[in-house]
Amino acid sequence: MRLLKRYKTYILPSFIFLMLLWGSAIITQVELHTLFAGIPRGVNLLLSMFPPDLSVMPELLYPALETVQIAFVGTVLGICIALFVGMFAASNVNKNRILREITRGLLSAERALPDLIVLLFFVTIVGLGAFPGVMGLAFSSLGMLGKLFADAIEEIDPRPSEAIAAVGATRLQIIRFAILPQVWPSLIANSLFRFEINIRASIFLGVVGAGGIGFNLIMHMRQLEYQQAMSAILVILFMVVICERISDVLRKRIIGAEVLK
Amino acid sequence: MLSVKNIAKKLPDGRPLLKDISFEVKKGEFVGIIGESGVGKTVLLRCINGLTIPDTGEIIISSNNTHQKINGKKGKELRSLQRYIGMIFQGSNLVKRLSVIENVLTGRLGRINPLRSLFYGFTDEEVDTALNALEKVSIQHLAARRAETLSGGEMQRVAIARALFQEPQILLADEPIANLDPKNTELVLEHLLPLKKEMAIMGVFHSPQIVRDYCTRAIALKDGVVFYDGRPDISSSILEQIYGNEFAVQPVSVA
Repeated sequence: MRLLKRYKTYILPSFIFLMLLWGSAIITQVELHTLFAGIPRGVNLLLSMFPPDLSVMPELLYPALETVQIAFVGTVLGICIALFVGMFAASNVNKNRILREITRGLLSAERALPDLIVLLFFVTIVGLGAFPGVMGLAFSSLGMLGKLFADAIEEIDPRPSEAIAAVGATRLQIIRFAILPQVWPSLIANSLFRFEINIRASIFLGVVGAGGIGFNLIMHMRQLEYQQAMSAILVILFMVVICERISDVLRKRIIGAEVLK
Repeated sequence: MLSVKNIAKKLPDGRPLLKDISFEVKKGEFVGIIGESGVGKTVLLRCINGLTIPDTGEIIISSNNTHQKINGKKGKELRSLQRYIGMIFQGSNLVKRLSVIENVLTGRLGRINPLRSLFYGFTDEEVDTALNALEKVSIQHLAARRAETLSGGEMQRVAIARALFQEPQILLADEPIANLDPKNTELVLEHLLPLKKEMAIMGVFHSPQIVRDYCTRAIALKDGVVFYDGRPDISSSILEQIYGNEFAVQPVSVA
Protein backbone atom coordinates (compact mmCIF):
# COMPACT_ATOMS: atom_id res chain seq x y z
CA MET A 1 0.00 0.00 0.00
CA ARG A 2 2.74 2.36 0.99
CA LEU A 3 4.60 1.72 -2.21
CA LEU A 4 1.42 2.35 -4.21
CA LYS A 5 0.97 5.71 -2.49
CA ARG A 6 4.54 6.70 -3.23
CA TYR A 7 4.06 5.63 -6.81
CA LYS A 8 0.98 7.84 -7.13
CA THR A 9 2.39 10.94 -5.44
CA TYR A 10 5.96 10.99 -6.74
CA ILE A 11 6.97 8.40 -9.28
CA LEU A 12 4.15 8.68 -11.81
CA PRO A 13 4.11 12.53 -11.92
CA SER A 14 7.91 12.60 -12.24
CA PHE A 15 7.74 10.14 -15.13
CA ILE A 16 5.06 12.19 -16.93
CA PHE A 17 7.04 15.40 -16.39
CA LEU A 18 10.25 13.88 -17.76
CA MET A 19 8.43 12.45 -20.81
CA LEU A 20 6.90 15.86 -21.57
CA LEU A 21 10.28 17.57 -21.21
CA TRP A 22 11.97 14.98 -23.44
CA GLY A 23 9.27 15.21 -26.12
CA SER A 24 9.38 19.01 -26.14
CA ALA A 25 13.18 19.04 -26.34
CA ILE A 26 13.09 16.75 -29.40
CA ILE A 27 10.48 18.84 -31.16
CA THR A 28 12.29 22.13 -30.43
CA GLN A 29 15.55 20.53 -31.63
CA VAL A 30 17.52 21.13 -28.47
CA GLU A 31 20.74 19.35 -29.40
CA LEU A 32 23.89 20.08 -27.49
CA HIS A 33 26.16 19.09 -30.37
CA THR A 34 24.48 21.71 -32.62
CA LEU A 35 25.21 24.31 -29.96
CA PHE A 36 28.84 23.27 -29.65
CA ALA A 37 29.29 23.01 -33.41
CA GLY A 38 27.94 26.56 -33.72
CA ILE A 39 30.49 28.08 -31.33
CA PRO A 40 33.11 28.83 -34.04
CA ARG A 41 30.42 30.58 -36.09
CA GLY A 42 29.42 32.66 -33.08
CA VAL A 43 33.03 33.61 -32.40
CA ASN A 44 33.40 34.56 -36.07
CA LEU A 45 30.32 36.78 -35.90
CA LEU A 46 31.63 38.51 -32.78
CA LEU A 47 35.09 38.96 -34.37
CA SER A 48 33.55 40.42 -37.51
CA MET A 49 31.80 42.99 -35.32
CA PHE A 50 35.11 44.36 -34.07
CA PRO A 51 36.25 46.98 -34.26
CA PRO A 52 32.82 48.67 -34.30
CA ASP A 53 32.43 51.15 -37.14
CA LEU A 54 32.00 54.37 -35.21
CA SER A 55 31.59 56.42 -38.38
CA VAL A 56 27.86 55.54 -38.40
CA MET A 57 27.39 57.04 -34.93
CA PRO A 58 26.04 60.41 -36.17
CA GLU A 59 23.24 58.71 -38.07
CA LEU A 60 22.41 56.54 -35.03
CA LEU A 61 21.92 59.47 -32.69
CA TYR A 62 18.58 60.62 -34.02
CA PRO A 63 17.02 57.11 -34.02
CA ALA A 64 18.37 56.56 -30.49
CA LEU A 65 16.72 59.77 -29.37
CA GLU A 66 13.55 58.71 -31.14
CA THR A 67 13.53 55.39 -29.24
CA VAL A 68 13.76 57.23 -25.92
CA GLN A 69 11.07 59.67 -27.00
CA ILE A 70 8.72 56.87 -28.04
CA ALA A 71 9.20 55.27 -24.60
CA PHE A 72 8.83 58.62 -22.81
CA VAL A 73 5.66 59.80 -24.56
CA GLY A 74 4.17 56.29 -24.51
CA THR A 75 4.80 55.91 -20.77
CA VAL A 76 3.42 59.34 -19.85
CA LEU A 77 0.34 58.82 -21.99
CA GLY A 78 -0.11 55.39 -20.41
CA ILE A 79 0.23 56.85 -16.89
CA CYS A 80 -2.40 59.53 -17.58
CA ILE A 81 -4.95 57.07 -18.90
CA ALA A 82 -4.05 54.52 -16.21
CA LEU A 83 -4.66 57.07 -13.44
CA PHE A 84 -8.11 57.80 -14.79
CA VAL A 85 -8.95 54.15 -15.44
CA GLY A 86 -7.39 53.11 -12.11
CA MET A 87 -9.89 55.31 -10.27
CA PHE A 88 -12.72 53.50 -12.05
CA ALA A 89 -11.25 50.13 -11.07
CA ALA A 90 -10.79 51.01 -7.36
CA SER A 91 -13.67 50.01 -5.10
CA ASN A 92 -13.19 52.93 -2.71
CA VAL A 93 -13.53 55.53 -5.49
CA ASN A 94 -15.99 53.88 -7.85
CA LYS A 95 -18.91 52.47 -5.88
CA ASN A 96 -20.59 51.06 -9.00
CA ARG A 97 -19.66 47.38 -8.88
CA ILE A 98 -20.63 46.52 -12.46
CA LEU A 99 -18.65 49.40 -13.96
CA ARG A 100 -15.71 48.46 -11.74
CA GLU A 101 -15.71 44.80 -12.75
CA ILE A 102 -15.94 45.75 -16.43
CA THR A 103 -12.95 48.10 -16.05
CA ARG A 104 -10.93 45.45 -14.21
CA GLY A 105 -11.86 42.89 -16.86
CA LEU A 106 -10.75 45.14 -19.71
CA LEU A 107 -7.46 45.86 -17.94
CA SER A 108 -6.71 42.17 -17.43
CA ALA A 109 -7.72 41.42 -21.04
CA GLU A 110 -5.18 44.03 -22.15
CA ARG A 111 -2.48 42.42 -20.02
CA ALA A 112 -3.23 39.04 -21.61
CA LEU A 113 -2.75 40.56 -25.07
CA PRO A 114 0.86 40.28 -26.37
CA ASP A 115 2.46 43.70 -27.03
CA LEU A 116 3.17 42.69 -30.62
CA ILE A 117 -0.54 42.27 -31.39
CA VAL A 118 -1.28 45.65 -29.81
CA LEU A 119 1.42 47.23 -31.98
CA LEU A 120 0.18 45.54 -35.17
CA PHE A 121 -3.30 46.83 -34.36
CA PHE A 122 -2.07 50.43 -34.12
CA VAL A 123 0.08 50.04 -37.23
CA THR A 124 -3.12 49.10 -39.08
CA ILE A 125 -4.86 52.20 -37.74
CA VAL A 126 -2.19 54.91 -38.08
CA GLY A 127 0.41 53.35 -40.37
CA LEU A 128 4.10 52.62 -39.78
CA GLY A 129 6.43 54.88 -37.79
CA ALA A 130 6.93 56.19 -34.27
CA PHE A 131 3.30 57.06 -33.61
CA PRO A 132 1.94 53.49 -33.55
CA GLY A 133 4.91 52.68 -31.29
CA VAL A 134 3.86 55.38 -28.84
CA MET A 135 0.25 54.19 -28.89
CA GLY A 136 1.30 50.57 -28.49
CA LEU A 137 3.46 51.34 -25.45
CA ALA A 138 0.80 53.60 -23.91
CA PHE A 139 -1.77 50.86 -24.30
CA SER A 140 0.38 48.08 -22.87
CA SER A 141 1.44 50.35 -19.97
CA LEU A 142 -2.23 51.01 -19.29
CA GLY A 143 -2.96 47.33 -18.62
CA MET A 144 -0.25 47.02 -16.00
CA LEU A 145 -0.32 50.50 -14.42
CA GLY A 146 -4.13 50.69 -14.35
CA LYS A 147 -4.26 47.58 -12.19
CA LEU A 148 -1.34 48.59 -9.97
CA PHE A 149 -2.78 52.09 -9.43
CA ALA A 150 -6.21 50.65 -8.63
CA ASP A 151 -4.70 48.23 -6.11
CA ALA A 152 -2.66 51.02 -4.51
CA ILE A 153 -5.77 53.20 -4.23
CA GLU A 154 -7.74 50.37 -2.63
CA GLU A 155 -5.05 49.86 0.00
CA ILE A 156 -5.08 53.40 1.40
CA ASP A 157 -6.40 54.33 4.83
CA PRO A 158 -10.07 55.34 4.28
CA ARG A 159 -10.26 57.58 7.36
CA PRO A 160 -8.50 60.69 5.97
CA SER A 161 -10.83 60.59 2.95
CA GLU A 162 -13.79 60.50 5.29
CA ALA A 163 -12.45 63.41 7.32
CA ILE A 164 -12.14 65.48 4.15
CA ALA A 165 -15.57 64.39 2.94
CA ALA A 166 -16.94 65.53 6.31
CA VAL A 167 -16.04 69.19 5.66
CA GLY A 168 -18.19 69.11 2.52
CA ALA A 169 -15.49 68.43 -0.07
CA THR A 170 -16.37 67.17 -3.56
CA ARG A 171 -15.30 63.79 -4.93
CA LEU A 172 -12.52 65.41 -6.97
CA GLN A 173 -11.23 67.30 -3.93
CA ILE A 174 -11.14 64.06 -1.93
CA ILE A 175 -9.10 62.44 -4.71
CA ARG A 176 -6.79 65.44 -4.88
CA PHE A 177 -6.17 65.92 -1.13
CA ALA A 178 -6.64 62.50 0.46
CA ILE A 179 -6.17 59.80 -2.16
CA LEU A 180 -3.39 61.07 -4.45
CA PRO A 181 -1.02 62.08 -1.61
CA GLN A 182 -1.37 58.60 -0.15
CA VAL A 183 -0.71 56.68 -3.39
CA TRP A 184 2.02 59.05 -4.63
CA PRO A 185 5.08 56.87 -3.75
CA SER A 186 3.70 53.71 -5.34
CA LEU A 187 2.50 55.74 -8.31
CA ILE A 188 6.00 57.12 -8.90
CA ALA A 189 7.73 53.78 -8.31
CA ASN A 190 5.44 51.86 -10.68
CA SER A 191 5.61 54.56 -13.35
CA LEU A 192 9.42 54.63 -13.34
CA PHE A 193 9.55 50.84 -13.42
CA ARG A 194 7.21 50.86 -16.43
CA PHE A 195 9.41 53.49 -18.12
CA GLU A 196 12.39 51.12 -17.83
CA ILE A 197 10.34 48.30 -19.35
CA ASN A 198 9.17 50.62 -22.13
CA ILE A 199 12.73 51.65 -23.09
CA ARG A 200 13.51 47.99 -23.86
CA ALA A 201 10.15 47.48 -25.54
CA SER A 202 10.74 50.58 -27.64
CA ILE A 203 14.00 49.11 -29.02
CA PHE A 204 12.13 45.94 -29.91
CA LEU A 205 9.37 47.99 -31.56
CA GLY A 206 12.00 49.43 -33.90
CA VAL A 207 12.98 45.92 -34.95
CA VAL A 208 9.41 45.19 -36.04
CA GLY A 209 9.11 48.53 -37.84
CA ALA A 210 7.97 51.25 -35.46
CA GLY A 211 10.97 53.52 -35.93
CA GLY A 212 13.87 54.18 -33.58
CA ILE A 213 17.27 52.54 -33.19
CA GLY A 214 15.95 48.97 -33.28
CA PHE A 215 15.27 49.51 -36.97
CA ASN A 216 18.91 50.57 -37.63
CA LEU A 217 20.16 47.53 -35.76
CA ILE A 218 18.09 45.05 -37.73
CA MET A 219 18.91 46.73 -41.07
CA HIS A 220 22.67 46.58 -40.43
CA MET A 221 22.38 42.93 -39.37
CA ARG A 222 20.39 42.01 -42.48
CA GLN A 223 22.88 43.74 -44.73
CA LEU A 224 25.67 41.84 -42.95
CA GLU A 225 27.23 45.15 -41.82
CA TYR A 226 28.31 43.70 -38.49
CA GLN A 227 30.72 46.49 -37.52
CA GLN A 228 27.96 49.06 -37.98
CA ALA A 229 25.53 46.78 -36.09
CA MET A 230 27.99 46.70 -33.20
CA SER A 231 27.88 50.50 -33.04
CA ALA A 232 24.11 50.32 -32.80
CA ILE A 233 24.40 47.75 -29.98
CA LEU A 234 26.83 50.04 -28.12
CA VAL A 235 24.44 52.98 -28.46
CA ILE A 236 21.56 50.81 -27.18
CA LEU A 237 23.55 49.62 -24.16
CA PHE A 238 24.60 53.17 -23.34
CA MET A 239 21.01 54.41 -23.74
CA VAL A 240 19.51 51.73 -21.49
CA VAL A 241 22.10 52.27 -18.76
CA ILE A 242 21.64 56.06 -18.83
CA CYS A 243 17.83 55.77 -18.68
CA GLU A 244 18.00 53.37 -15.75
CA ARG A 245 20.37 55.71 -13.93
CA ILE A 246 18.00 58.66 -14.48
CA SER A 247 15.12 56.53 -13.28
CA ASP A 248 17.09 55.49 -10.17
CA VAL A 249 17.99 59.08 -9.35
CA LEU A 250 14.37 60.21 -9.74
CA ARG A 251 13.16 57.33 -7.57
CA LYS A 252 15.59 58.22 -4.81
CA ARG A 253 14.83 61.91 -5.10
CA ILE A 254 11.08 61.50 -4.95
CA ILE A 255 10.55 58.46 -2.76
CA GLY A 256 13.84 57.81 -0.99
CA ALA A 257 13.93 61.27 0.55
CA GLU A 258 10.50 60.74 2.03
CA VAL A 259 11.46 57.51 3.69
CA LEU A 260 14.36 59.25 5.41
CA LYS A 261 12.28 62.12 6.74
CA MET B 1 -28.48 75.97 16.55
CA LEU B 2 -28.76 72.19 16.33
CA SER B 3 -31.91 70.22 16.94
CA VAL B 4 -32.02 66.47 16.82
CA LYS B 5 -35.57 65.17 16.60
CA ASN B 6 -36.59 61.54 17.10
CA ILE B 7 -33.54 60.02 15.47
CA ALA B 8 -33.60 56.24 14.99
CA LYS B 9 -30.98 54.07 13.35
CA LYS B 10 -30.81 50.30 12.93
CA LEU B 11 -27.58 48.34 12.65
CA PRO B 12 -26.94 46.51 9.36
CA ASP B 13 -28.14 43.28 11.02
CA GLY B 14 -31.49 44.90 11.83
CA ARG B 15 -30.89 45.38 15.55
CA PRO B 16 -32.07 48.85 16.62
CA LEU B 17 -29.12 50.92 17.84
CA LEU B 18 -30.67 54.38 18.27
CA LYS B 19 -34.40 54.22 18.97
CA ASP B 20 -35.60 57.73 19.67
CA ILE B 21 -33.08 60.47 20.31
CA SER B 22 -34.05 64.12 20.68
CA PHE B 23 -32.21 67.13 22.07
CA GLU B 24 -31.16 70.65 21.21
CA VAL B 25 -27.75 72.25 21.47
CA LYS B 26 -27.03 75.99 21.48
CA LYS B 27 -23.97 78.10 20.92
CA GLY B 28 -21.88 78.37 24.08
CA GLU B 29 -22.57 74.83 25.15
CA PHE B 30 -20.00 72.08 25.43
CA VAL B 31 -22.02 68.89 25.55
CA GLY B 32 -20.38 65.69 26.68
CA ILE B 33 -21.97 62.51 25.38
CA ILE B 34 -21.43 59.42 27.49
CA GLY B 35 -22.73 55.89 27.58
CA GLU B 36 -21.62 52.29 27.45
CA SER B 37 -19.40 51.09 24.58
CA GLY B 38 -21.49 50.21 21.52
CA VAL B 39 -24.46 52.29 22.64
CA GLY B 40 -24.31 54.38 19.44
CA LYS B 41 -22.48 57.56 20.47
CA THR B 42 -20.29 57.65 17.38
CA VAL B 43 -23.20 56.77 15.08
CA LEU B 44 -25.16 59.67 16.57
CA LEU B 45 -22.33 62.11 15.74
CA ARG B 46 -22.02 60.67 12.24
CA CYS B 47 -25.77 61.14 11.72
CA ILE B 48 -25.47 64.80 12.73
CA ASN B 49 -22.86 65.64 10.10
CA GLY B 50 -24.38 63.52 7.37
CA LEU B 51 -21.74 60.77 7.14
CA THR B 52 -24.41 58.28 8.23
CA ILE B 53 -28.06 58.58 7.27
CA PRO B 54 -30.57 57.96 10.09
CA ASP B 55 -33.57 55.71 9.34
CA THR B 56 -36.09 58.18 10.74
CA GLY B 57 -36.11 61.55 12.46
CA GLU B 58 -34.73 64.97 11.64
CA ILE B 59 -31.50 66.83 12.20
CA ILE B 60 -31.93 70.55 11.78
CA ILE B 61 -29.17 73.13 11.61
CA SER B 62 -30.32 76.67 12.35
CA SER B 63 -28.40 79.83 11.66
CA ASN B 64 -29.60 83.41 11.14
CA ASN B 65 -33.24 82.31 11.38
CA THR B 66 -32.90 79.75 8.60
CA HIS B 67 -33.57 76.16 9.47
CA GLN B 68 -32.15 73.44 7.29
CA LYS B 69 -32.61 69.71 7.57
CA ILE B 70 -29.39 67.81 7.00
CA ASN B 71 -30.68 64.26 6.69
CA GLY B 72 -32.18 63.38 3.35
CA LYS B 73 -29.93 65.88 1.60
CA LYS B 74 -27.50 64.66 -1.03
CA GLY B 75 -24.60 65.88 -3.14
CA LYS B 76 -24.20 69.63 -3.36
CA GLU B 77 -26.95 70.44 -0.85
CA LEU B 78 -25.45 68.11 1.74
CA ARG B 79 -21.94 69.46 1.17
CA SER B 80 -23.10 73.05 1.59
CA LEU B 81 -24.48 72.13 5.04
CA GLN B 82 -21.49 70.01 6.05
CA ARG B 83 -19.24 73.04 5.83
CA TYR B 84 -20.98 74.40 8.96
CA ILE B 85 -20.20 71.26 10.93
CA GLY B 86 -16.65 70.56 12.02
CA MET B 87 -15.62 67.06 12.99
CA ILE B 88 -12.67 65.85 15.05
CA PHE B 89 -12.15 62.11 14.78
CA GLN B 90 -10.83 59.66 17.31
CA GLY B 91 -7.63 58.99 15.33
CA SER B 92 -7.39 62.61 14.08
CA ASN B 93 -7.58 61.19 10.49
CA LEU B 94 -5.03 63.56 9.01
CA VAL B 95 -3.63 62.95 5.54
CA LYS B 96 -0.30 61.71 6.87
CA ARG B 97 1.75 62.49 3.78
CA LEU B 98 0.64 66.12 3.53
CA SER B 99 2.23 68.84 5.63
CA VAL B 100 0.55 70.17 8.76
CA ILE B 101 -0.50 73.44 7.11
CA GLU B 102 -1.93 71.58 4.11
CA ASN B 103 -3.99 69.44 6.44
CA VAL B 104 -5.37 72.55 8.09
CA LEU B 105 -6.16 74.10 4.70
CA THR B 106 -8.31 71.10 3.73
CA GLY B 107 -10.77 72.32 6.39
CA ARG B 108 -12.21 74.82 3.92
CA LEU B 109 -12.48 72.58 0.86
CA GLY B 110 -16.25 72.64 1.22
CA ARG B 111 -16.32 76.38 0.83
CA ILE B 112 -13.81 77.38 -1.81
CA ASN B 113 -14.14 76.99 -5.54
CA PRO B 114 -13.40 73.31 -6.32
CA LEU B 115 -11.44 74.17 -9.47
CA ARG B 116 -9.19 76.57 -7.56
CA SER B 117 -8.52 74.02 -4.82
CA LEU B 118 -7.59 71.31 -7.34
CA PHE B 119 -4.74 73.49 -8.56
CA TYR B 120 -3.75 74.29 -5.02
CA GLY B 121 -4.85 77.90 -5.24
CA PHE B 122 -5.13 78.76 -1.58
CA THR B 123 -4.91 82.51 -1.11
CA ASP B 124 -2.33 84.18 1.15
CA GLU B 125 -5.16 85.23 3.41
CA GLU B 126 -6.33 81.65 3.76
CA VAL B 127 -2.81 80.49 4.56
CA ASP B 128 -2.51 83.25 7.21
CA THR B 129 -5.81 82.23 8.77
CA ALA B 130 -4.68 78.61 8.78
CA LEU B 131 -1.46 79.62 10.53
CA ASN B 132 -3.52 81.53 13.07
CA ALA B 133 -5.56 78.40 13.71
CA LEU B 134 -2.32 76.50 14.36
CA GLU B 135 -1.19 79.28 16.69
CA LYS B 136 -4.39 78.91 18.72
CA VAL B 137 -3.45 75.31 19.47
CA SER B 138 0.22 76.34 20.04
CA ILE B 139 1.78 74.31 17.23
CA GLN B 140 2.45 76.97 14.59
CA HIS B 141 6.14 75.93 14.65
CA LEU B 142 5.14 72.55 13.18
CA ALA B 143 3.36 74.04 10.13
CA ALA B 144 5.88 72.81 7.56
CA ARG B 145 6.30 69.36 9.07
CA ARG B 146 4.79 66.31 7.45
CA ALA B 147 1.77 65.13 9.47
CA GLU B 148 3.12 61.58 9.87
CA THR B 149 6.10 62.86 11.88
CA LEU B 150 3.88 64.25 14.65
CA SER B 151 2.96 62.64 17.97
CA GLY B 152 -0.63 61.59 18.67
CA GLY B 153 -1.32 64.68 20.78
CA GLU B 154 0.13 67.02 18.13
CA MET B 155 -1.93 65.32 15.41
CA GLN B 156 -5.09 65.79 17.42
CA ARG B 157 -4.25 69.48 17.82
CA VAL B 158 -3.80 69.75 14.04
CA ALA B 159 -7.26 68.22 13.70
CA ILE B 160 -8.62 70.91 16.03
CA ALA B 161 -6.86 73.60 13.97
CA ARG B 162 -8.42 72.13 10.81
CA ALA B 163 -11.85 72.34 12.42
CA LEU B 164 -11.10 75.91 13.60
CA PHE B 165 -10.05 76.97 10.12
CA GLN B 166 -13.29 75.53 8.77
CA GLU B 167 -15.10 78.06 11.04
CA PRO B 168 -18.02 75.75 11.78
CA GLN B 169 -21.08 76.58 13.86
CA ILE B 170 -21.17 73.15 15.35
CA LEU B 171 -18.07 71.18 16.32
CA LEU B 172 -18.37 67.43 16.79
CA ALA B 173 -15.57 65.56 18.52
CA ASP B 174 -15.58 61.76 18.49
CA GLU B 175 -13.49 60.59 21.44
CA PRO B 176 -10.88 63.29 20.77
CA ILE B 177 -8.77 62.25 23.74
CA ALA B 178 -8.82 58.49 23.34
CA ASN B 179 -5.27 57.09 23.00
CA LEU B 180 -3.71 60.25 24.50
CA ASP B 181 -1.63 60.41 27.66
CA PRO B 182 -2.91 62.55 30.58
CA LYS B 183 -0.76 65.57 29.65
CA ASN B 184 -1.94 65.63 26.02
CA THR B 185 -5.52 64.94 27.13
CA GLU B 186 -5.41 68.10 29.21
CA LEU B 187 -3.78 70.11 26.40
CA VAL B 188 -6.37 69.06 23.81
CA LEU B 189 -9.27 69.79 26.16
CA GLU B 190 -7.79 73.18 27.12
CA HIS B 191 -7.74 74.08 23.45
CA LEU B 192 -11.26 72.82 22.81
CA LEU B 193 -12.82 74.59 25.79
CA PRO B 194 -12.59 78.26 24.66
CA LEU B 195 -14.15 77.40 21.29
CA LYS B 196 -17.60 77.19 22.86
CA LYS B 197 -17.73 80.98 22.73
CA GLU B 198 -17.94 80.80 18.93
CA MET B 199 -19.76 77.53 18.33
CA ALA B 200 -21.71 74.67 19.82
CA ILE B 201 -19.48 71.74 20.77
CA MET B 202 -20.49 68.13 21.21
CA GLY B 203 -17.93 65.57 22.31
CA VAL B 204 -18.07 61.84 22.92
CA PHE B 205 -16.10 60.92 26.02
CA HIS B 206 -15.37 57.69 27.80
CA SER B 207 -14.79 59.22 31.17
CA PRO B 208 -17.55 60.91 33.22
CA GLN B 209 -14.81 62.73 35.15
CA ILE B 210 -13.71 64.55 31.97
CA VAL B 211 -17.32 65.52 31.24
CA ARG B 212 -17.74 66.80 34.81
CA ASP B 213 -14.53 68.87 34.65
CA TYR B 214 -14.85 70.40 31.19
CA CYS B 215 -18.39 70.18 29.78
CA THR B 216 -21.32 72.48 30.45
CA ARG B 217 -23.86 69.74 29.97
CA ALA B 218 -23.99 65.96 29.80
CA ILE B 219 -26.11 63.68 27.66
CA ALA B 220 -26.08 59.97 28.45
CA LEU B 221 -27.34 57.37 26.00
CA LYS B 222 -28.72 54.05 27.13
CA ASP B 223 -30.71 51.42 25.24
CA GLY B 224 -31.08 53.72 22.24
CA VAL B 225 -32.63 56.67 24.05
CA VAL B 226 -31.44 59.76 25.94
CA PHE B 227 -31.23 58.40 29.48
CA TYR B 228 -29.89 61.55 31.11
CA ASP B 229 -29.70 65.15 29.90
CA GLY B 230 -28.56 67.80 32.32
CA ARG B 231 -25.78 69.09 34.55
CA PRO B 232 -22.36 67.56 33.91
CA ASP B 233 -21.76 66.59 37.53
CA ILE B 234 -23.79 63.40 37.44
CA SER B 235 -24.41 61.67 40.74
CA SER B 236 -22.74 58.31 41.17
CA SER B 237 -26.05 56.48 41.50
CA ILE B 238 -27.14 57.70 38.06
CA LEU B 239 -23.69 56.87 36.62
CA GLU B 240 -24.09 53.34 37.86
CA GLN B 241 -27.38 53.10 36.01
CA ILE B 242 -25.79 54.52 32.85
CA TYR B 243 -22.84 52.17 32.80
CA GLY B 244 -24.34 49.22 34.63
CA ASN B 245 -21.72 46.93 36.06
CA GLU B 246 -19.14 48.21 33.60
CA PHE B 247 -18.74 51.39 35.64
CA ALA B 248 -17.41 49.50 38.64
CA VAL B 249 -14.39 48.15 36.75
CA GLN B 250 -13.79 51.02 34.31
CA PRO B 251 -10.57 52.93 34.98
CA VAL B 252 -10.36 56.68 34.51
CA SER B 253 -10.43 58.05 30.95
CA VAL B 254 -8.63 55.15 29.27
CA ALA B 255 -10.13 54.13 25.92
